[in-house]
Amino acid sequence: MSTNNDANLIHMINQIAANLGGGRDEEAAATATCRHLETFWARPMKHRLVANLELEGVEFSPLARRAATLLATRLLERQSITR
Amino acid sequence: MIGHFDPKQYARNTAHDKDLGTPFPVQSLGTALVNLEIDGITISVPEGTSVLRAAALADINIPKLCATDSLEPFGSCRLCAVQVEGRRGMPASCTTPVAEGMKVTTQNERLAKLRRNVMELYISDHPLDCLTCPTNGDCELQDMAGSVGLREVRYGFEGENHLESVKDESNPYFSFDPSKCIVCSRCVRACEEVQGTFALTIDGRGFDSKVSAGQDEAFMDSDCVSCGACVQACPTATLMENSVIDHGVPDRSVVTTCAYCGVGCSFEAQMKGDKLVRMVPYKGGDANHGHSCVKGRFAFGYASHPDRLTTPMIRESIDQPWREASWEEAIGFAASRLKAIQAEHGRESIGGITSSRCTNEETYLVQKLIRAAFGNNNTDTCARVCHSPTGYGLKTTLGESAGTQTFDSVMKSDAIIVIGANPTDAHPVFGSLMRKRLRQGAKLIVADPRYIDLLKTPHLGEAQHLPLRPGTNVALVNALGHVVITEGLEDKAFVTKRCDTEAYQSWREFIADPRHSPEASEAITGVPAEAVRQAARTYATAGNGAIYYGLGVTEHSQGSTMVMGIANLAMATGNIGREGVGVNPLRGQNNVQGSCDMGSFPHELPGYQHVADPIARGRFEAVWGVKLDDEPGLRIPNMFDAAIEGTFKALYVQGEDIAQSDPNTQHVEAALRSLDCLIVQDIFLNETAKFAHVLLPGSSFLEKNGTFTNAERRINRVRKVMPPVAGKQDWEITQDLANALGYPMNYVHPSEIMDEIASLTPSFTGVSYEKLEEYGSLQWPCNAEHPEGMPTMHEFNFPIGLGRFAITEYVATEERTNRRFPLLLTTGRILSQYNVGAQTRRTDNQHWHNEDVLELHPSDAEVRGVRDGDWLGITSRSGQTVLRARLSERMQPGVVYTTFHHPGSGANVITTDNSDWATNCPEYKVTAVQVERVSQPSAWQQRFNAFDQAQRGYLAKAQQEAP
Repeated sequence: MSTNNDANLIHMINQIAANLGGGRDEEAAATATCRHLETFWARPMKHRLVANLELEGVEFSPLARRAATLLATRLLERQSITR
Repeated sequence: MIGHFDPKQYARNTAHDKDLGTPFPVQSLGTALVNLEIDGITISVPEGTSVLRAAALADINIPKLCATDSLEPFGSCRLCAVQVEGRRGMPASCTTPVAEGMKVTTQNERLAKLRRNVMELYISDHPLDCLTCPTNGDCELQDMAGSVGLREVRYGFEGENHLESVKDESNPYFSFDPSKCIVCSRCVRACEEVQGTFALTIDGRGFDSKVSAGQDEAFMDSDCVSCGACVQACPTATLMENSVIDHGVPDRSVVTTCAYCGVGCSFEAQMKGDKLVRMVPYKGGDANHGHSCVKGRFAFGYASHPDRLTTPMIRESIDQPWREASWEEAIGFAASRLKAIQAEHGRESIGGITSSRCTNEETYLVQKLIRAAFGNNNTDTCARVCHSPTGYGLKTTLGESAGTQTFDSVMKSDAIIVIGANPTDAHPVFGSLMRKRLRQGAKLIVADPRYIDLLKTPHLGEAQHLPLRPGTNVALVNALGHVVITEGLEDKAFVTKRCDTEAYQSWREFIADPRHSPEASEAITGVPAEAVRQAARTYATAGNGAIYYGLGVTEHSQGSTMVMGIANLAMATGNIGREGVGVNPLRGQNNVQGSCDMGSFPHELPGYQHVADPIARGRFEAVWGVKLDDEPGLRIPNMFDAAIEGTFKALYVQGEDIAQSDPNTQHVEAALRSLDCLIVQDIFLNETAKFAHVLLPGSSFLEKNGTFTNAERRINRVRKVMPPVAGKQDWEITQDLANALGYPMNYVHPSEIMDEIASLTPSFTGVSYEKLEEYGSLQWPCNAEHPEGMPTMHEFNFPIGLGRFAITEYVATEERTNRRFPLLLTTGRILSQYNVGAQTRRTDNQHWHNEDVLELHPSDAEVRGVRDGDWLGITSRSGQTVLRARLSERMQPGVVYTTFHHPGSGANVITTDNSDWATNCPEYKVTAVQVERVSQPSAWQQRFNAFDQAQRGYLAKAQQEAP
């Protein structure tokens, strides 16, 4: 279920991607955006964001979607390490 | 032997409580010493020192009245006359500079007679009511009459005199009694030289001369800003604090630090027993050098206001009356609620907010409680909504989340840019220092939508105003950068030596693009291209260029980008790493810097060490004895969203009023109502406390020991002058809560907390209470490399090695005007009130500003048929509120302005959820609104009033029922 909180998270990542996107190539921008989320976002926020990747009709900007996908991979890697 | 002047040695040897008569001759720094003989004693002093000061340093005290060491010499009273061998007459020693080999006599029959004659004339026109005079025992005129041995007044008292002059009691804090005035002009000079307001003057000539506020107006009707400098300077009872008139001269004094803005002025709290009689700015304070403003000097009465909470309170739900409880019961109740919630909803379902008004030690303890006892990183602080972009932006570019200079550095600036700050209102004591420098000829550039008072400063340099549209800061700073690069104004040597080449090249390429030219951005910012070019040239070529900024930079959707843009500009022009230059955030609250330093942010442990850094975290785990979460926690707005969603259930708030200060009030209220347990620790029933289940009465800055860190990274001691009203200092309450939660804390004194901070924070390893006693204050970093602290940062390198230019693409805010919301609202502060007003509203500062008003340009008013004083409904996409209109040409057409000092104003009902992309710092400065005339309060205001009354009733009921 997508809630108001989810909508805020999507809004936030789109805004971050827009600001980190300028003047960089897309891969660098996606990495920077992902790193920003890793550095500043709380655990539940990251997981909620990643869960939204699976949902239909979520308005990720292309760069934000790429960054969120990268974050999903990084979270999985991290989980496998902690285990 | 020629000795050389060592200012450090000199400062240590100078007692601050002694008035040396004339100021230290700043121009003499580094010059040779001059040797002279005074009354047979040989002394060496810096060139430019007055004979009066030289004598005082040798402990020879020449009588004086019009001279004081906070003001330039004036030579009017003639009491300090001396004789100099080989010179004629009896010159005033205050205006006579020392000379090599000079031989001075300060006391002989002739001089004594002259002085007695001078005093006799003064006293012949002075009331002889010493025994009933408020300054009895603390009067320079009385002291001097004694010193010169005045025994009779041959002229009698019947002649023409001023003894019947009428008092001016219009100011709530001090009285002006002209009958006691000796027209020494100290007050006039203080208003001019120290405060820079020029509100006072000497009216008339000769015998008719009198001190006059403005054009013979009452003090309250004049330009007087009630800073107290004149009261401080007055040698008689003419200008006198009403509190001393009422209670008598204080008998003891404790040096402490003001709890208002981020300037962090040092004050002497002058006491009679437990009663605070007056606050006097402390000359030895390195942030303020003996100056003050109306808040710090006079607005301390809130500490003893009847609204102070004195007993802990608890209740099951916010629709119930409060019940008074013992400390033990209230803490136990809070702890059991927190534990139960975590058991049901998980470890991450609770969090806390540290106070930017409490001490470093208290802030440190709250974040420690959250990280160690709550077991998560859901900690945040008020800086989230003010300077979090400063933290992000400066750390990214310069490597440290702090301003680069001391306040005094401004005295060496040649060009000063002020962006989105209003120092004469929000940082008044620093504003006065800046004005002093402007009067010496520094150039001023102000980038602000409003025509702020600083622009009206009488000064020698030129003042340039860049009146940009709210929300277009980044476009403006990029245009300034573009001019620097394309006109070849950059400091290539600095950039090559100190900055990362790759980052610089990318930025250079980015900024040189014609889309950033002033001509291209004019359509966005509204600032004429030529004015931008002129400003960039002034800043880059004047010599020392300094940038000062405030919340008009940070509180935007691109706040962090703007901070980086400012840092880029400073690096590109080489304006970093020495006195007179730098990037200087003006901090809002007294301890915003400290609360950030102390690890209040959810992603950073104390000293800005990221929670994911295993080495830093490991050190904390070892000392704290628990495993710490390696993921950042929720920030304040994230907590609100999670609360409304139902995943965040309990919040511990220390000394912050989120219900009034945070944006989109109705959203905040909904979040607070969703909580199962809200614990508020505050000195008053603030707006947030009305949604609370546990009320823990806190202590004011007068009731505790600790430290505050000001905007120049200066750690200053806060000293307890009276016992806590409710029995506990705030750190003790946090400690009790930790213990009740099963996490042991056993500090006996805040100095032990500071020792722990020093052991875990690399920039604080050299800080201790002992060292603070010795040095007075310390500017961090203070560690093995910089044992005496570091006044100017980045002198040789940056903490990240090389400075890093950042790409700052302008992304327009989503908050746009349209036909429905055609105006832009921006919010700010006013001199007499502080932040949410909880303190200043409970003082006589209300006389200046007892309601928030909406300032709008006459042309915007005219098309809406609005007249000054009309009730205006202000509607945004978030909500509606009603304020009185004030027409003002300080505003540009299309922009309206208000303050948020009064809760019922609902200024934040209209501000939106938009926030800075990097830090979620709210976009307080840009809200699209419409205004129209209305006849009644808004629906929110009506609900607010009803809720407010009910909650006050619940408190009053509990207080009446208490045994």
